[in-house]
Amino acid sequence: MAEEKYLLEVKNLCRHFTSGKGKNKLTVKAVDDVSFAVRPAETFGLVGESGCGKTTTGRTIIRLYDPTDGKVIFDGREISGPMTKELRQYLTDNIAMIFQDPIESLNPRMTIEEIVGEGLAVRGMKDKEEIRKMVHEMLEKVGLTEEHATRYPHEFSGGQRQRVGIARAMIVKPRMIIADEPVSALDVSIQAQVINLLNDLKEEMGLTILFIAHNLSVVKYFSDRIGVMYYGRLVEVANGDDLYAKPLHPYTKALLSAIPEPNPITERTRQRVDYDPERDHDYSEEQPTMVEVEPDHFVYCSPSELKAYRKQLGIAD
Amino acid sequence: MKYIDHNIPEEILNIPAEQFELVERENIKDEKFKTEPIGFFKDAMRRMGKSKPTMISLYIIVAIIIAALIVPLFTGYKYDEQNVSFKNLPPKIPGIEKLGIADGSRVLTNRKASSLEDPDRFPEGCIIEIVNEYEYKGTPVVDVKVDYYKYLGVPEDQYHWFGTDYLGRDLMTRLFRGTRISLLIAFFSVITNVIIGVIYGAISGYYGGKVDMLMTHFAEVLDGLPYIVMTILFMILLGPGMFSIILALCVTGWIGTSRLIRAQFYRFKGREYVLAARTLGVKDITLIFRHILPNTVGPLITRAMIAIPGAIFSESFLAYIGLGISPPEPSIGILLADGQNVLLQYPNQTLFPAILISLLMIAFNLFANGLRDALDPSQRGEE
Repeated sequence: MAEEKYLLEVKNLCRHFTSGKGKNKLTVKAVDDVSFAVRPAETFGLVGESGCGKTTTGRTIIRLYDPTDGKVIFDGREISGPMTKELRQYLTDNIAMIFQDPIESLNPRMTIEEIVGEGLAVRGMKDKEEIRKMVHEMLEKVGLTEEHATRYPHEFSGGQRQRVGIARAMIVKPRMIIADEPVSALDVSIQAQVINLLNDLKEEMGLTILFIAHNLSVVKYFSDRIGVMYYGRLVEVANGDDLYAKPLHPYTKALLSAIPEPNPITERTRQRVDYDPERDHDYSEEQPTMVEVEPDHFVYCSPSELKAYRKQLGIAD
Repeated sequence: MKYIDHNIPEEILNIPAEQFELVERENIKDEKFKTEPIGFFKDAMRRMGKSKPTMISLYIIVAIIIAALIVPLFTGYKYDEQNVSFKNLPPKIPGIEKLGIADGSRVLTNRKASSLEDPDRFPEGCIIEIVNEYEYKGTPVVDVKVDYYKYLGVPEDQYHWFGTDYLGRDLMTRLFRGTRISLLIAFFSVITNVIIGVIYGAISGYYGGKVDMLMTHFAEVLDGLPYIVMTILFMILLGPGMFSIILALCVTGWIGTSRLIRAQFYRFKGREYVLAARTLGVKDITLIFRHILPNTVGPLITRAMIAIPGAIFSESFLAYIGLGISPPEPSIGILLADGQNVLLQYPNQTLFPAILISLLMIAFNLFANGLRDALDPSQRGEE
């Protein structure tokens, strides 16, 4: 990729899970040879069906899982190496995560103030009053009131809880946020609310966001660039508009064709495109690689497919 | 995207974006809650208060504990005060004695009818009634119900509510002092077990993998040791006493707790809020004790509550087979062991400790059940 400055670079990242021993050994390649890069202050969307490895990618970047292979570089520093105290500190100072399930992601035995203030306490802030003040400020920012600080998570609605989760991630002033399906557990009206909040905070704090989701319309609304994952691999990366206007990879086409349309007349006759890797690709002779078809538009394809894609886009070889 | 034929006019289908107006795009602002904040424990206590059996058993437990603390002070006897001439007295309780129960009477069997006249054998006024008259080898024999207190010449104002034992010691004093000791042993052994079990299970469950495997196997090996043999060894090594018994109850007692905690850790350590705390850089020790452990507190308390009657019962069992604390100190088990030697002649010596230990067991079990329901309402009614 170009010598542009990236905030986060993921190079050939692999995360395999194994179970069993000897001949019963099973390896699941949850993330297999994934490479992408995120520019500062950009929102990078990662989409794909359930179980395709989006969440694992996010969690491997923030080191909830250790990578099997490959490199992750954050702002020029490798963060995929052996875990040291100093690296953990660097990681947690710079990257924060927002989780999918608003019920699961808040400890039911802690008050909101404890949950949100924990990041500060971990960073050595001792003054309880100061922590409280900052927690209150943060709660105001996400649309909650001071009074909510003494409450327990079960007293809140899903959207409110997710905003608490956002406050928890934001209070440590990270440079990057990994948002792991932050809205997929919320109902549609609340989704917009939370997404708008994230957008506002992003602009206000100059955040970079890695946005993991399976809802394409949400990703389209929110992301500058989008990566499509299938079965542990990244199959297409492009600018948001490009991806929607001229999808190349058959899986991307299949995904796009699955978006419901808000027009009942056309929705009734919407054509779904199927994707079957066995049928759609012939990799018996040529090995597929990640290729830049046009500037900022990468597709995972074999040389002959590349030719076809180029033709489709009307670019000469 | 293909559009099919429809009757919608073009101008409706192609409304320019500028004509749309946002209905609402202001900052989100939530209202304050109108209710009082309710913490987890407050909520659990409120739920517990609604359950009658739980509250009744709680009252019983509290009453027994208070009785164990104060009754030995007010009986007027000491637990080791012997008076062999007043041994094996039946119960006599002021007030109730007039109703014909607990009046200090006993039936003496197979007495020569002639001896009833002898004031040395049967002091004046001690005979209440003759229950049975028959002949044995030509001699008239009677079963006679006597006021045993008068029969033995016990002073008028001396009452033994539960009677006395084979050394003439007041049973009520001994019973409640014994309860105190049994409860002490139970509480200490359970607290030790919980502490060891929580730490061991937490480490084993949190780290998992090889650490977990080694720790689990070690616990299994320990669990295989025969516990009576170990108790005997402790008795030999440290001499009989409370300490040896507590130690004997602790050697293997914590394993159950550690298994429970380990399972709970496996359940909770992958939860998103734990992951969230990890991404914030929270240390392992904080994760274990601040984030995961409080969520296991429900099953833990329940288990501890169930373990208390278990420990009381184990102590009684050990005392019963002669491995109890050293005399003259009583415990419920020792009283039962002593009582069963004379079960047919003096059933009261077994009856009162048996009632008390049954009450304790039932109350603790019911209370533990209620507590579990209160702490974890989703498991209500499961056994």
